[in-house]
Amino acid sequence: MSLEKPSSPTEIGVTEDGLDYDALAELLGGHVIDRESHVNAEGFVVRPDEVQAVLSTLKTEAGFDHLANLTAQEYDDRYESIYHLRKYDDPTQELSIVVPSPKDDPHNQSAARIYDTADWHEREAYDLVGIDYDDHPDLRRILLPETWQGHPLSQDYDQNQPQIVTLRENANPLQDDQRSEDDPDTMFVNIGPHHPATHGVLHVKTVLDGEQVADIDPDIGYLHRCEEQMCQQGTYRHQIMPYPDRWDYVSAGMLNEWAYARAAEDLADIEVPEYAQVIRTMSAELSRIAAHMLALGTFALDVFGDFTAIFQYAFRDREVVMNILEDISGQRLMFNYFRLGGVAWDLPEPRDEFFEKIRDFLDDLPYKLEEYHDLITGNEIFQMRCVDTGVLTPEKAKSYGATGPVARGSGVDYDLRRDDPYGYYDELDWNVVTETGCDNFSRVLVRMREVEESARIIEQCVDLLEQWPEDDREIQANVPRTLRPEPDEEIYRAVEGAKGELGIYIRSDGTDKPARFKIRSPCFSNLQTLPEMSQGEYIPDMIASLGSLDIVLGEVDR
Amino acid sequence: MQSAPLPESLADLAGLDPNSTPVMILMSLIGAALIGSLMMTNTALAGPWAKRKITAAFTDRIAVDRIGPFGLLIIVADSVRLLSKELIVPEGVDRPAWDLAPLLIASSALLGFAVIPMGNGLHLADPEVGLAYVFATASMASIGLVMAGYASNNKYSFLGGLRAVAQNLAYEIPLILTGASVVIFAGSLQISEIVAAQSATLIGPIPSWYAFVNPFAFVLFMIANLAEVGRNPFDIPEAPTEIVAGYQTEYSSVYFVLIYLGEFIHIFLGGAIIATIFLGGPAGPVLPGIVWFLIKIWGVFLFTQWARSAVPRVRIDQLIEIGWKGMLVLSLANLLLTAVIVGVVA
Repeated sequence: MSLEKPSSPTEIGVTEDGLDYDALAELLGGHVIDRESHVNAEGFVVRPDEVQAVLSTLKTEAGFDHLANLTAQEYDDRYESIYHLRKYDDPTQELSIVVPSPKDDPHNQSAARIYDTADWHEREAYDLVGIDYDDHPDLRRILLPETWQGHPLSQDYDQNQPQIVTLRENANPLQDDQRSEDDPDTMFVNIGPHHPATHGVLHVKTVLDGEQVADIDPDIGYLHRCEEQMCQQGTYRHQIMPYPDRWDYVSAGMLNEWAYARAAEDLADIEVPEYAQVIRTMSAELSRIAAHMLALGTFALDVFGDFTAIFQYAFRDREVVMNILEDISGQRLMFNYFRLGGVAWDLPEPRDEFFEKIRDFLDDLPYKLEEYHDLITGNEIFQMRCVDTGVLTPEKAKSYGATGPVARGSGVDYDLRRDDPYGYYDELDWNVVTETGCDNFSRVLVRMREVEESARIIEQCVDLLEQWPEDDREIQANVPRTLRPEPDEEIYRAVEGAKGELGIYIRSDGTDKPARFKIRSPCFSNLQTLPEMSQGEYIPDMIASLGSLDIVLGEVDR
Repeated sequence: MQSAPLPESLADLAGLDPNSTPVMILMSLIGAALIGSLMMTNTALAGPWAKRKITAAFTDRIAVDRIGPFGLLIIVADSVRLLSKELIVPEGVDRPAWDLAPLLIASSALLGFAVIPMGNGLHLADPEVGLAYVFATASMASIGLVMAGYASNNKYSFLGGLRAVAQNLAYEIPLILTGASVVIFAGSLQISEIVAAQSATLIGPIPSWYAFVNPFAFVLFMIANLAEVGRNPFDIPEAPTEIVAGYQTEYSSVYFVLIYLGEFIHIFLGGAIIATIFLGGPAGPVLPGIVWFLIKIWGVFLFTQWARSAVPRVRIDQLIEIGWKGMLVLSLANLLLTAVIVGVVA
């Protein structure tokens, strides 16, 4: 196995068989006022005014360098923010910092000074749940319009209250931005929400100094569809599974479904049959190839500047994958193929033909990738444009909670398929791809090489599936018709989506619907690195960096 | 030159006196209309149809094939579509500059064809400063681009206009310097002389076209020409993914058609200049001169479309660097070397 990675043993609380939470509690001393047990990790309850002290101790002394997620929620008697901490070296070492705050005046210290990524996560918590974060650099609404009344995920929010905002009241994007007027050498320009290069409806408020980017501020939320709330109103068993397809909707559906499946199965203690796991692994990797092909094509579109050959080639080859996915799930976009405890149905008949189709695709793939390399990575102008532009250092990548190809392009060796194994990945032979260039070029290379690795995984899955005995093809575990997990269980589980760590937090309350459903979107965290990458760069490099992040706004805004 | 310029032949044909000024004015106008129509026809073929078909061939697609044979009637359909769209005039545009810019962009390139010999007597005028005149008219489009960019009252347009100026400054000098090296060879700015100088043979069956005599200058000129007409990898004044559509962002309907048309005529004018000063003008075996001439300008068009489908766009600073530090130096060296060699040989 090529998948072992040693973790440094010097960190506090690290033992042979997992984390020693007592040692960690000792490290924090009197800060820990209570301890909770979540399914994935222990939760330390800390006072709202000691958040920064606790997090900075845990980051510097215990090695928790990854703030994976922030979940905010309202209980009957309190508000609560949960900081889900992990380590980039070993994401199975998890710790939740639970911060309760009073019902009448919910506020607690911001973590944005410790982890850059907390900036947006706390803005989202403020926006949707209504918790104030003290000492936050820029606590504004992030998903909803600035004129929105109330916080939609709080308990007293009246969904029927009309949100009428006249045009006059709506903030003029130019009005509050005086940066351009302070300095006569700069120019403010709105890139998006309608712009050819924003990959959906993204609005980037940009201040230009000539052709160079002086300051940018991504403005998101145009595609917010209340996915979390909709999931909270659906039953675990069947009604939630269609939603993940709609987060990262460009062919990464299988990977998204797995995120929910993994969280819910661990919460309800469902064992998935091995055969179903192999099918899941194969279809998820097919999804990844399709998603990376699209990322490659659109990135080339941003750099080449037109619908050029490489864009069309990537789409032509992605089409083959889409056809295979269609054979598996009956769908091309919204697969809805995973079920809790397995998959919806077995592989299509005749199986020989189906496997033949996949093998044909895998056989062609090396030549196609070679063609891509000839066209883009081997092109000198492309190298001129992409090498050493959009630089994201590993330290900043970690601090911003970047994951997936964005982190791996910066040399951060972090892949949940290997580091926090699920499905059938730990039985297969494949490698985690990293590049150390930290630039736009590295991120593209990572994606292209990951396609090769995914192809290896698929090939091994096909071998396994072909030889699978016919009487042992169990696609679905025994799952009760109505699933009611134990009350007050909390879990955060993540899978390696196409864009990075796609995590789900679920809190159960004994009913057949989750009491809180929080989505940790990799694109949301990755997009935060854009200002870091593009300040001082030229506009075309900013556009290229945005393309190299490979965001899907459906997942950023949810 | 084998035949007299077009107005004289037209006057002969009509049986009128070629020495009377009113007759010549009338015949010149008719000739100009003829040449203009010919180039417009080429553009109409290239814009809505050939460009799509060529790009589709490069990118594994089929493109238009629903209306008419090979989808050719899309030209009619597109014309109706584009001309019947609403002309949106944004608030605060700087008129009349905003209205004049599309006209200037489209007409300036067309003017250049006046001195281009297209074979079979299709040659409107043959002044002694022919080549200088062609370059002058081709450069006028830059003014149109700046006007469009500035008058549109749009930041993207403005950026596009600025980029266009920077780019044209950086690439027009190498373009003209390389053109000048041809003038040294031919010993004349008069286009008929330049074409005539290429009619001999170099070695065996290879004609003494300047592309063969001095391939280095030819390559330089092709590259500078790509930048001059704003095609990949030098399409940064438009740069769709960066600044929306550059100087043409705010233009719609007829004005858009004019700008679009202007771009294509410009590509063809670039092709005509290349054909004339490097590829022997309308010269070629068997087929009539006009056919050869069209083959050559369409060859250059094909080259621009190939670059568009396969080459990434450079960044503005890289473009300026290539222009001033690379192209300018190389074209100066080419000019000097040519001068020395021609001086020594002659």
